[in-house]
Amino acid sequence: MFAQVGDELIIEGHEVGRPRRVGRVEEVRGDDGGPPYMVRWDDTGRATLLFPGSDCRVVHLADTPAGTEES
Amino acid sequence: MKISELALREPVVIGCDATVADTAALMASSGVGSVIVLDGQTPVGIVTDRDIVTRGVARSYPPDGRIDGLMSMGLIAVDADHDLAGLVHAFRDHAIRRIPIIDHDRVIGVVSLDDIVVHVTDELSTVSRVLAGQIMFPHATDEARTPSPA
Repeated sequence: MFAQVGDELIIEGHEVGRPRRVGRVEEVRGDDGGPPYMVRWDDTGRATLLFPGSDCRVVHLADTPAGTEES
Repeated sequence: MKISELALREPVVIGCDATVADTAALMASSGVGSVIVLDGQTPVGIVTDRDIVTRGVARSYPPDGRIDGLMSMGLIAVDADHDLAGLVHAFRDHAIRRIPIIDHDRVIGVVSLDDIVVHVTDELSTVSRVLAGQIMFPHATDEARTPSPA
């Protein structure tokens, strides 16, 4: 997984009743854009360190066409 | 109070290609109920004894199946130099019961919600003892400190 500061990170809710979580990458701790990432979560406004699993995906906002949120 | 000042338990880790049976055996020999799953040196998930029961045994997942098929992905972690309040927020925000503690991108321990309860209870107990002492042996100095009218 590769991310840059400012990218959006999404964890899909794969259990009933558990919504998807969306956050913004504030810090990339790994080499070459790799994890872990310091992510500030939209729903809480607080940041935690995340070692993403395969249910996580990164939306590179720099590559996102204007007017859309996800690529 | 910094998280690093808590009595952290050594993390118990296992490779993501280990089997469910290996993981259960490791839990038994280490006396823990959760194991951090690594891909190389990178944490990729956490698996608990409950996961093995509810996602494994209950669904006839084979004991020789890979443990990463049962683990919870997307590991939420907290830096060791954060304060305790930040850790409590993380427990609440992410509805989890165990959080790996990171120092320089290395897992140095795991804190459970139970650990926090024990810590807070200890702190309260200390305060309670001080309070009880002050109630039973009130400071005579209160009066002594008050200047007597000349």
